[in-house]
Amino acid sequence: MPTKITFITQDGSKVVVEDAIGTLMEVATEHDVEGIDGDCGGVCSCSTCHVKVKREWLDKVGVADEIEQDMLDLEDETDERSRLCCQIEVVEEFDGLIVEVAPLS
Amino acid sequence: MSNCPYHDPFKSAREQKPVLATEFDGDPVAMILGFKEVRKAARDYTTFSSDAPFRVPIPREEDVRSMRQYPIEVDPPAHTEYRKIVEPFFRQPTQPEYIERMENLLEELILDALERDSIEIVREFAIPLQSRALTYLLNVPESEADLWTTWGTHVFRDESGKSKGAEMETYTNSLFDRAEANPGDDFFSALVQARYQGRPLTREEMQGCANLAFAGGRDTIINTVSTVMAYIAEHPEALDALRENPKLVMTATEELIRYTSPVTHLGRMCPMDTDVHGVKVDAGKLISLNWASANFDPTMFEEPETVRLDRKPNPHIAFGNGAHNCLGAPHARLIVRTLLKKLCQHTNGMTLLSAQRKVEKEADYERANAYHELKVQLISK
Repeated sequence: MPTKITFITQDGSKVVVEDAIGTLMEVATEHDVEGIDGDCGGVCSCSTCHVKVKREWLDKVGVADEIEQDMLDLEDETDERSRLCCQIEVVEEFDGLIVEVAPLS
Repeated sequence: MSNCPYHDPFKSAREQKPVLATEFDGDPVAMILGFKEVRKAARDYTTFSSDAPFRVPIPREEDVRSMRQYPIEVDPPAHTEYRKIVEPFFRQPTQPEYIERMENLLEELILDALERDSIEIVREFAIPLQSRALTYLLNVPESEADLWTTWGTHVFRDESGKSKGAEMETYTNSLFDRAEANPGDDFFSALVQARYQGRPLTREEMQGCANLAFAGGRDTIINTVSTVMAYIAEHPEALDALRENPKLVMTATEELIRYTSPVTHLGRMCPMDTDVHGVKVDAGKLISLNWASANFDPTMFEEPETVRLDRKPNPHIAFGNGAHNCLGAPHARLIVRTLLKKLCQHTNGMTLLSAQRKVEKEADYERANAYHELKVQLISK
């Protein structure tokens, strides 16, 4: 079943991906989502894939593990919705998921 | 596992204070050493400004170039607009065709090295690799690298440190003349056609962008490649671990870049009198962001002098941090990843024949950074 993911970038524009596969970071970089660079390739080194998960999706997507949280702790503009999206593997249950690209801190 | 006693010359200074009052070029420099302190300062461009032509690199560079480098020597918001102009070129390394070209290049260089009884990594491997890879980034014919390969590790200093910056500027100026007369889809043509605040770039701004494109990714990549090769020569088990778990290439790349930290530090200028963790910096004077020290801070990296190929998280700041985060980072990362991958694929490591380390000797520290010369023999599978 195709999984639809929506990214909302800093300027408020939407990038809708109808058939997301892989990690959210890979989906975002493949679709040139502004503000998601994924420089380190998904190994928790660069923090260039910081997103904020829409509140109603928090339970389904889950929270950052310890390694990811250590990276997030270094960022300035984080809150309880913050995730490094290279650590989020897209699954079918995420169909309809909306994430906001976090501001560059 | 590597314990290099010379690798972290800032250890004892950092244990005492997060900042070391030192000097360069006869001027005081407050060198920030602690990871969190460096990272924070790198993001605070109001207190620690990059609007300081020739003084972001330390030692300063008036003797090797005549113009400000863009976008590294300007602060936001101007920086943001300059950076946007060049950024598309520097994001190419994530594209599949680009990755494939890099794989072909590394494959060719490694297969060629395997044919020889010995190879000097700096001149016969790293410099051709850096030069040819840069043609992909700037989207110019690969034959252009024939000239670049003849340059030394630093584009505008010869091995004795003497300036040959004027030659570089004459060369890049000729590239802009060519691009103006006959624009293509290369980096120089893009700058000729770019608009900044609604106007075309001045030739000086174009030259400043080109200067950085050549200088920024030169010694950094060459030094990283030689350091990675020396590490593999001394740790043949590393290739086995990478072969066993190919995913390790990604974390190993980050770790080897942290371990190398090819740029020891960069400068920032304090526009106002500033207290930097107890060190007074007068208005107009410099601080330095010591990436190398930060990357060996044990409060952030457990056993920092040990290379852990699976280190995760690895929040190293070898590429800097904040708005000026290295533009060439995706390109550099791709080079190291591909190098590791191809060494795994075609070699059983290499034998170290001889090595001559390069040492930065400054007023308060000596730091071994890469190699003048590194002779190895690659071992075929």
